[in-house]
Amino acid sequence: MGQKTCARRLLMEIAEFRTGLHSWLDAHESELAPTFSPPGTLDEQIAQMQRVKSILYDADWMKYGWPERVAGLGGSPLLRTELGASLAARGLADPGLFSLIEVLAPTLIDFASPELAAEVVPRLLSGAELWCQGFSEPSTGSDLAGLTCRADPDGEASTASTWIINGQKVWTSLAQYSDRCVLLTRTGTTDSRHRGITAFFVDMDTPGITVAPIEMINGMHEFAEVFFDDVVVPAERMLGDLHGGWGVAMSILPYERSSCFWQRIAYLYRRLEMLVEVAPADDRAARVIGDAYAQLHSVRARSRATQHRLAEGATLGAETSIDKVLVATAEQTTYDAVRRLLPGVVEMDDTAIGQAWRTEYLYSGAATIYGGTAEVQRNIIARRLLDLGADE
Amino acid sequence: MMEAAERVLLAETVGDALSSGGPLDPVLAKLGWLEMLDAEPADAVDIVFNALGRANGTATVLDDVLASALGTQPRADLAALLPPFATWEPPGTSHGGRTAGVGLATARASTATEMLVVCHGDAGPSVVTVPTSAIDLTPVHGIDPNAGFHLVRLETDGAGAPLNAGAWDTAVAHGRIAVAQQIAGASRAMLDLARTHALERVQFNRPIARFQAIRHRLAEALVAVEALEAVLIAARDEPSAVTAALAKTVAGRTARTVGAHCQQVLAGIGFTTDHPFHRYLKRTIALEGFFGSADEIATDLGRELLATRLVPTLIEL
Repeated sequence: MGQKTCARRLLMEIAEFRTGLHSWLDAHESELAPTFSPPGTLDEQIAQMQRVKSILYDADWMKYGWPERVAGLGGSPLLRTELGASLAARGLADPGLFSLIEVLAPTLIDFASPELAAEVVPRLLSGAELWCQGFSEPSTGSDLAGLTCRADPDGEASTASTWIINGQKVWTSLAQYSDRCVLLTRTGTTDSRHRGITAFFVDMDTPGITVAPIEMINGMHEFAEVFFDDVVVPAERMLGDLHGGWGVAMSILPYERSSCFWQRIAYLYRRLEMLVEVAPADDRAARVIGDAYAQLHSVRARSRATQHRLAEGATLGAETSIDKVLVATAEQTTYDAVRRLLPGVVEMDDTAIGQAWRTEYLYSGAATIYGGTAEVQRNIIARRLLDLGADE
Repeated sequence: MMEAAERVLLAETVGDALSSGGPLDPVLAKLGWLEMLDAEPADAVDIVFNALGRANGTATVLDDVLASALGTQPRADLAALLPPFATWEPPGTSHGGRTAGVGLATARASTATEMLVVCHGDAGPSVVTVPTSAIDLTPVHGIDPNAGFHLVRLETDGAGAPLNAGAWDTAVAHGRIAVAQQIAGASRAMLDLARTHALERVQFNRPIARFQAIRHRLAEALVAVEALEAVLIAARDEPSAVTAALAKTVAGRTARTVGAHCQQVLAGIGFTTDHPFHRYLKRTIALEGFFGSADEIATDLGRELLATRLVPTLIEL
């Protein structure tokens, strides 16, 4: 009974927040709207996102769902999920960029000293700063526990006041724009795998850091290689315990697989709607659109259940690999529908509309690669959910 | 609606009672099916039809779901005329005091005294209660002879009672949820059978479950089943004609995905009648056509989106 009352109160809290938010967004539409026509350059997209964050922070919307110790206003984390989804649906901020907050701020809140978290998290939320996540390496894609970027103590590990970082990261989203980086480093022996990893919070203007942006398949430079050459980091910037970095990395999963997905799904509904606004009203189009709609509905239904489990205090785990497979499949189905129903737009159209669809169509190929490939997800599902035992 | 814990308990009780398979109407009557349907219609339909699917059971309770949705008191001797295979228009017509109908029926049609026939006609939609003595009934063997379906033709004098404009759509929505639940239960059962086989079947000195090709097929099947289950929960939380249509189209697609992967994993044994898999596969193939196939419903949903140029999100956090 208590559980049901609690769930109902949460739904009311979210509904009330949504109503207030939407009327506020309606009233401030012109102020928030992008000043460029989509897709815009990455510079324009980032500037837009930071501007929107700043306006929303001043109006308190960016503070809901975040704890008071980082200057938040408290309330369910689902409130900030609702905010991100609303921004995505209205085309005010790219969900891929905006939802990075969800994989960065909670790490600081859970693993940094209270003073550091209180100092820096508001700067991320208010758009004063951008941060990046330094996890992947050239030799470390799906196999994250094999990372080799080293952090060595200047002296004894237990008493060192600084750590020295050497190595390379890759696929680091927005590194060239970032003020800080949540970085995973090897602090154990070479073969210590997940037991010898430590996380640090590194200022990107520290001497010895070089950023080299990578051009993606769609021409954007969303991610970069980051090189660390004798980079000195104070010991108080260690996140969590020495050799506790794997736990830090894993703690991100629930946010990535709940809030980030919900924002992405809201965005995909809007993309399907943009297709529906211009698609031919014939039976072939109806079939393609109906199929895409059913897939989006499937992942939205699944993700909604996941969000509520998280809000009720459940620990999210392997079962979110199903959410991941569904969201990736739905994304690719949506953009395939665009290509099938608007011939020439992705392929030959040099107007802003063509460029926008082309950029996103090409990006959708990554949906089954980033955040754990589709194959890794299926391995996890087979091993952990179907309990099929070890594989070959 | 029931509390989650109550629902789990009832699902267990019903699941155990129905696990014998075979003709299950008497078992359901003893469980108090009609009382459940009256008190908690959404939960009753979800639990009973899912259990029927899992058990590969045969029952005629779809007739009660339709009767209840049409505002008629369901009873064991009242059948309902279902639309012809792969369609969802009202199965009857009523013109100038004459009622005609063509469609499908469960096995109840052979024992019931009366049948509800929803008609469209000059005077708008109506529901006619036809004595079963006036119907022409042919058992259907088809792909799934155990399902007990019948072909119905009827022509009789007598007009019916007028029906609200949305009543048939509501009945279709309820029917779609029931059938989608049955497909969800059957899909789970197919996956369980394939999983067990993969763990037990040894080739090249190891269980075939060790091979990634097999594992990925089973993973794909689980993704489909769990997505369907989520869609059915969403339809219970936000009941509407659209969420029911989505549930039914996703169910049809899921049955195809799960059926194909599981049949491939089961390989030779799944191709025989020695193994129970074939009964589930055939049942899902038969059920997919009730109230519209996955493809037809998806096209219909797409037409609606194209007509309004809107894509509603339907469910919120």
